[in-house]
Amino acid sequence: MIVGSQKPFDEIWEMIQSFKKILVLGCNTCVAVCHAGGSKEAEILSEMIKVKAKQMSHSIDVNSMSVMRQCENEYLDEFMDNIKSTDLVLSMACGVGVNFLSDKINAVPVYPALNTSFYGGVPKEGLFIELCAGCGNCILHLTGGICPIARCSKSLMNGPCGGTDKGKCEVSKDIDCAWFLIVERMKLLGALEKLYDVQPPRDWSTSFHGGPRKISLEHIKAYEEQQGGQIR
Amino acid sequence: MVIQEQTYRPYGYEIKEKRPFSPCRSACPVNTDVQAYIALISTGRYNEAFEVIRSVNPIASACSYICHHPCEQACRRCSIDEPLAIRHLKRFALEKASGYRRSKRRILKNTQGKNIAIIGSGPSGLTVANDLADLGYGVTIYEKHLALGGMLASAIPPYRLPREALQEDIDDILSKGVKAILNCQVGKDISLNEIIQKNDAVVIAVGLSQSRSLNIPNIDSDGVLLAIPFLTSVVFNRGVKIGKNVLVIGGGNVAIDVARTARRLGSNVEMVCLESAEEMPAWKWEIEEAMEEGIKIRNRWGPNAVIKEDEKVKELEVIKVLSVFDKQGKFNPSFDKNVKDIIQADTIIITIGQMSDNSFAKDSPLKIEGGRFSWDPNTQMTNHPSVFITGEVVTGPGSAIAAVASGHKTAHAVHLFLQGQLKPGLLPNFEKEKIEQIPEEIKGKIKPQSRLKILHLEPAIRCQTFDHFERGYDEESALKEAGRCRGCGGGAIVDSSRCMACLTCKRVCPYGAPIVKAYSEIRPEFCQACGLCVSECPAQAISMVSYDVREIRDNMPVTIGILNPDRKIPVIAGFFCTHHVGVKGFQVPDNIRVIPLSCVSRLDVLDILKAFQCGADKVAILKCPEDSCKYESVNTRFSLRLSRAKKLLQMLSIQPEKIVVLSELEVGELGDNHFFK
Ligand SMILES: Cc1cc2nc3c(=O)[nH]c(=O)nc-3n(C[C@H](O)[C@H](O)[C@H](O)COP(=O)(O)OP(=O)(O)OC[C@H]3O[C@@H](n4cnc5c(N)ncnc54)[C@H](O)[C@@H]3O)c2cc1C
Ligand code: SF4
Ligand code: SF4
Ligand code: SF4
Repeated sequence: MIVGSQKPFDEIWEMIQSFKKILVLGCNTCVAVCHAGGSKEAEILSEMIKVKAKQMSHSIDVNSMSVMRQCENEYLDEFMDNIKSTDLVLSMACGVGVNFLSDKINAVPVYPALNTSFYGGVPKEGLFIELCAGCGNCILHLTGGICPIARCSKSLMNGPCGGTDKGKCEVSKDIDCAWFLIVERMKLLGALEKLYDVQPPRDWSTSFHGGPRKISLEHIKAYEEQQGGQIR
Repeated sequence: MVIQEQTYRPYGYEIKEKRPFSPCRSACPVNTDVQAYIALISTGRYNEAFEVIRSVNPIASACSYICHHPCEQACRRCSIDEPLAIRHLKRFALEKASGYRRSKRRILKNTQGKNIAIIGSGPSGLTVANDLADLGYGVTIYEKHLALGGMLASAIPPYRLPREALQEDIDDILSKGVKAILNCQVGKDISLNEIIQKNDAVVIAVGLSQSRSLNIPNIDSDGVLLAIPFLTSVVFNRGVKIGKNVLVIGGGNVAIDVARTARRLGSNVEMVCLESAEEMPAWKWEIEEAMEEGIKIRNRWGPNAVIKEDEKVKELEVIKVLSVFDKQGKFNPSFDKNVKDIIQADTIIITIGQMSDNSFAKDSPLKIEGGRFSWDPNTQMTNHPSVFITGEVVTGPGSAIAAVASGHKTAHAVHLFLQGQLKPGLLPNFEKEKIEQIPEEIKGKIKPQSRLKILHLEPAIRCQTFDHFERGYDEESALKEAGRCRGCGGGAIVDSSRCMACLTCKRVCPYGAPIVKAYSEIRPEFCQACGLCVSECPAQAISMVSYDVREIRDNMPVTIGILNPDRKIPVIAGFFCTHHVGVKGFQVPDNIRVIPLSCVSRLDVLDILKAFQCGADKVAILKCPEDSCKYESVNTRFSLRLSRAKKLLQMLSIQPEKIVVLSELEVGELGDNHFFK
């Protein structure tokens, strides 16, 4: 799931204060799970903006609503008229949603209210941790299910480095050393010997370094090419 | 219950209709939404509570004194400690709303242009009159006594039912334009045939007005009386004479009324009944109250013969009862005739049941078989198409509220008949599925809280007067008692189209009510309606059946009002837990805008923000101290919300000190507190 957190309110205010009519648009999937951008947070933020506007004697018309996901057409379509009829959409979605919606409406600015942070898990209420970097070339079968790209501060493929210290990372005592965890896990799995294989340098082209990525389902793509148009 | 457009519907009505009822509601013969009106009482909304009650019960005031309250016997609190004092809370609400109630009385026009006659003015007849008047029919009641109300007016002794209460109910009904012809016995003063001829429909609601007698030697001696005539003579002050030593034969509720009435006339009273103490059909509380008044009960004896002297009762010979019920559980007493006893008495009152007096229908088209009118329970119709029948005359002995239920069905039947739409299967059905009892695994999380005592006049004093013996709740007690309700069936529901299965509600709920799979489903038998999950759901997918979760926010501009920009005294939004301060606490200094909550579990970060947004200078939250909160986990969740709210305010440069939380403070001290100045 995508995890994000709200931008500091002052920064948001700076961004939006010159607009007269603002729609705070919540996204009710990933960022709602992490209590950053769902319907509830959208309403809270819009109340905050109203208080601030009053304090500054600004007249701003602020409304809030939310959709299930801002990254898919079908969820947005029925609300598009509403969404378009504003001076600014303050999106509570992750960056995907902001991009997606901007592309979709073009003429109205869509601003981000969140800082999109990572792909994470929820070990307990109120805690979200990064576990995957989305590098496009998964090696978790070699590392006991622990991702060194996401969880090792240096993204080492053949760790640990000399900085490992009683299971902690030299970057911070609060960070577990991913390679320490990998070694311990592999012991448990009885597969420690796999770690003796030295991993060759990685091909980062599947990660962001190869430019923006796109995946299409093969069978659909082939069909469309053959028919010369989109399926429907 | 006749479906009418104007009828008051409590919040969440539509949803509730489709879900299992709270056990109290399901047990009520007319499905009174107990949970709803108790919740309204608990926030001081007495007029609305009255509306909920009155919408299904036209003799609400009478019931608030004499109902046998099956709702209480079914209350889910029974498995924790004691049931809610539902009947008594009803009385409280009705008394509080009496001014409102009177102000709402209106005459209704006969818009249907049709006339209906009702014979008998007991609970069933009054209900039919009420419902048909609401539907725009012209209604006339014929009643043989001088007062309307059936047994409630002519038999139930006033120490249990003050007549002013009954009168409130009757005034409601008469004010709609219902005509009542009193002192008119159908069959004697006017014939049934004439009534049938003159009306578009007739409803027979004559109840069971005759007492049964015994077939034992000398039963016709002077000093042997029958229950109903005896009670009626006392009620209407007809100067009945009884002796010093009175024997009451019977063990039911009517027998207890007879015994306690005789006691109030100054006699020594003893009851003789077939049943053992446990088997007695009278309600336990009635038996206890009778015994407190010095009434003796002889269990497991059966009357065998009256012994007379100069035509006057002298003694009753009784024989020992071996068993009251046979193997099939049927009433079929067996006796040991060899074990006898003699009880001295100068008056004997026979109270062994009632039957109907059908003589009024002698020369009418109505068919009577084996002493009973022939009728169809699917349509409430007798063999004659325009004549309907309702209440105890067909259902047999029961309760006042059961007679009301029968009345609702019959009114609906008459209406459908007059509209040409009557067929079986269309009458209201009050048998409703109910929520299960409180699950074992959460019982430990529900704090025992004893029921607030209902005060009675001292037995020594009350047995000398016909004054009503039970004191009503004062406001403080009523609110405390209302606060014991667990809100069964009024809890959380999820809008599955908004839920994205984030698990928050499951994590927040102290009672394990939500089950989250593709989306969250909240199990009503677990949910205690605390409302904690509502404000935590990030998708705002949860609402409450029993209250509008947005109401506080939506009303905030009005609550705060238009403010003077040059004000010297701060305006404070006061979120007050009614469990803690009651509603008396609502009389606070002018600058505090009170927003009653039935627990701070329902206070949302958004409510606090909204108060500031609407111009409040400060926010005060009054809540119960940690250990006395009604629900689990409220303190944790509340402090989390509070710190979030303070953080948000800080971002807006509003000092966090502008929010104060008080829990020990007495309400009276509010005005003196520095914060409020
Ligand atoms: C002593 C006593 C105590 C009770 N206590 C309780 C209690 O505490 N709680 C409770 O829930 N229930 C109680 N009940 C039962 C309750 O009163 C009945 O369930 C209820 O009154 C039945 O209503 P009904 O409309 O069917 O008939 P009724 O109330 O019996 O009304 C019938 C009416 O028809 C009139 N009538 C009969 N024949 C004619 C005629 N020919 N012409 C004109 N009018 C006629 C009668 O005068 C009477 O007014 C008690 C009953 C008695 C007798
Ligand atoms: S606790 Fe309240 S809602 Fe539940 S059964 Fe008792 S009175 Fe009814
Ligand atoms: S908290 Fe709301 S969104 Fe999350 S599972 Fe519960 S109902 Fe669904
Ligand atoms: S948190 Fe409270 S209202 Fe929500 S499901 Fe649990 S008991 Fe019901």
